[in-house]
Amino acid sequence: MTVQLDKQSKVITGNAAAAYAAMLCRPDVVAAYPITPQSEVVEQLARFHANGVLDCEYVPVEGENSAQNVVCGASMAGGRTFTATSSYGLVYMYDALFNTAGYRAPVVMVNVNREPPGIHAVCSGQQDMISTRDTGWVQLIAESCQEILDTVIQGFRLAEDHDIQLPVMINYDGYYLSYLAESVEIPAIEDVDKYLEVLKSQPQRPRLIPGQSIGCGSHGMGMGYVELRRRHMDAMERVKAKVDDIDASFAESFGRSYGGQVETYRAEDADIVLVTSGSVTGTARTVVDARREAGLKVGLVKLRLFRPFPVQQLSEALKGKKAIGVLDRSIGFGWNCGPIFMETKALASQIGIVPMLSFIDGLANMDITKEHIDTMIDAIYDASQGKDYQETTWLP
Amino acid sequence: MGFIKENEKHIFETEASWSDASEHLLCLDTGDWRTERPVVDQDRCNGCGFCVLYCPPQCMLADGEYFKADLAYCKGCGVCVKECPKQAIKMIPEGEFADDSAIG
Amino acid sequence: MAEKKKKMPRVFDYFEEEDLFSGGVAWCAGCALELNARFVGRIMGKNTVLVGTPSCSAPVLNGQNTAAWHKLGHYACTMTGVASSATGLSRYYRKAGIDANVMCFTGDGCAQDIGFQTMSGAAERNEKMIYLCYDNEGYMNTGVQRSSGTPFGAATSTTPVGSAGHGKDTAKKDLPMLMSMHDIPYVATATLSHLEDYAKKLQKAKEKSREGFVYLHVFCPCVDGWRIPTDSSIQVCRAAVRTNYFPLWESEDGHYRITHNVSKPKPVEELTGLVGKFKHMSKEEKETLQSMVNKRFNILKALCEGTQNAA
Repeated sequence: MTVQLDKQSKVITGNAAAAYAAMLCRPDVVAAYPITPQSEVVEQLARFHANGVLDCEYVPVEGENSAQNVVCGASMAGGRTFTATSSYGLVYMYDALFNTAGYRAPVVMVNVNREPPGIHAVCSGQQDMISTRDTGWVQLIAESCQEILDTVIQGFRLAEDHDIQLPVMINYDGYYLSYLAESVEIPAIEDVDKYLEVLKSQPQRPRLIPGQSIGCGSHGMGMGYVELRRRHMDAMERVKAKVDDIDASFAESFGRSYGGQVETYRAEDADIVLVTSGSVTGTARTVVDARREAGLKVGLVKLRLFRPFPVQQLSEALKGKKAIGVLDRSIGFGWNCGPIFMETKALASQIGIVPMLSFIDGLANMDITKEHIDTMIDAIYDASQGKDYQETTWLP
Repeated sequence: MGFIKENEKHIFETEASWSDASEHLLCLDTGDWRTERPVVDQDRCNGCGFCVLYCPPQCMLADGEYFKADLAYCKGCGVCVKECPKQAIKMIPEGEFADDSAIG
Repeated sequence: MAEKKKKMPRVFDYFEEEDLFSGGVAWCAGCALELNARFVGRIMGKNTVLVGTPSCSAPVLNGQNTAAWHKLGHYACTMTGVASSATGLSRYYRKAGIDANVMCFTGDGCAQDIGFQTMSGAAERNEKMIYLCYDNEGYMNTGVQRSSGTPFGAATSTTPVGSAGHGKDTAKKDLPMLMSMHDIPYVATATLSHLEDYAKKLQKAKEKSREGFVYLHVFCPCVDGWRIPTDSSIQVCRAAVRTNYFPLWESEDGHYRITHNVSKPKPVEELTGLVGKFKHMSKEEKETLQSMVNKRFNILKALCEGTQNAA
């Protein structure tokens, strides 16, 4: 069945944007389990399927663990696959996340960020994504509904690239973006086909086809295991430049780009910078503009790629700054700071020793207001002026 | 860079762990495990084939009108002895075949 | 002696292929699972993808680095993800128009315990696949721990016998019965002493898996974990059938049928007497086990009678 879908502008939620993007990429198999605040993605995909717009095997599974295993299996058989989850669901598929990544299955998944179990906040936060950072998945973070749609399409281009062959998790803030309706440009399906066409000219990855006496997931014995772990890490390293390339080629095809691994805003000539990720970046831009008006040389660096950590790109963006702040919407134990801060601090050998400040804010849907950002910028500025500073600050 | 040198022969040609049995199979000399071997008494054997059917490693092979264990693989479990309706098979300690090359 | 013609059992007529496994593989001497796996391969044929997990079967079903022990297709996954991984394979094959027998091949620990949810889910969705559970009544590979498939009274490493412990104190989960309540096209029990019965069921499973979910439950003793001599696994299978401890039955489209009638069932002691894990049981405990066996068999009989003439 050939589906014709023309380019259109529509006011849709972040969840709908994710579902539209997945549909436009023509997956062979979609499996997902509903969870707040992701459910709308599954519902929308089910509607697309029911209306014949999405010609795929749609598997309404009995849990997230199964969702992940279904898409991994289908991917190893040779299919293009998509799933979606959030928080409790993400950690419920934890073993399967390792499996999918270890199998180098190019699954694309959206994870709608929400606080994990324990204090049971049905609220936004990035702890879910952080807790899966070393499962071997590529992790991208989107800022707006349009970026969600575009990043999912880029995600397929990245995951299935023959040099990469890795699963890609696209994260966006639950509630803030999942339910936020904005005007989104939905590309024509044939333009998406064209954008992804390059994948067809690449050598085919291995597939589990019956009758060929091949096995998927053989025991990695001794150096066999070590070799494959090394290959996994090497592929992750290749992801970094590939994310930049794919973002650039996306701009050529669709006229939109997001800076690749990191997006800088008024950061080049800035003395101090704040590192953000996700939807709060919009608020931070507004505050940076206002502080620039007032004469403060402050800039913004948005982290778009979290795994692999964009060491080089981020170092370049932060080099020469007098003080750096990092905003985290999750916590990291032991170091008494935010996890993204912890990783940014590890860049010291590349960027030199400057005051670095960790801000923990926006847990459990607590709004990160303009005032909060102002407080952060003030603290970074004071530290840049040689004043004593507190390394980790909780806001509010 | 690192311990895997450029141009070094790799174990895997694939990015993930895939096995391919289309050309050859892994194989253990499980005959080594055996302490007793089944010996078929051809006078008692009626050729019913139960020993062939129930042999776990499927190593009871046709030997003319009768059957004989493939000693390369026979683990000496004795299922064939137990399942033979004519009591035509006996387990004989390997020590009694000292001169024989035990692994066929 | 040329007048003595070999007359091989009829079971051989069901074989589609030569043995697809390597001659020497790392299963214990006398292992019923080894016979089971080789038998399944010969009837299901090469166009089969087995989906398996870490277990007794993994050392043989999984390859090692780039080489493998058998010629079937194989997908290794976690114990939580067997029926779901198989769903993914089966759905993609359907989408791509590839004909395949997708068969989950796991022990009872995976099927009844940790992989149960995903299996039940796949059955409810009526995924086109076969789930074969080889039931060795516990976690034999990891050192003989109890599973929900371990029967009442059995001693395992986690239900040990001591001054206060008497082996497992609850009943075995009746998984084939449970699966038959999922309203799936075909459910059957089988064991390795009754191979023609098993062969017919595998053939039917292959056919019915084109319609939907098929569940096969295969009684498969473990010589090591059950403390039985290496030559006894088939004898134990036979005793399990003759005592109605493990009746051979099938349910095709909701019609229950006992496929091997035992006219005069033996007391369950005829089985427990052969098996080391039951040796410690008292007279009362054996009576309890007997009443559990009777109760289950009565339910099965009632289902057979009740669905015999149903439309």
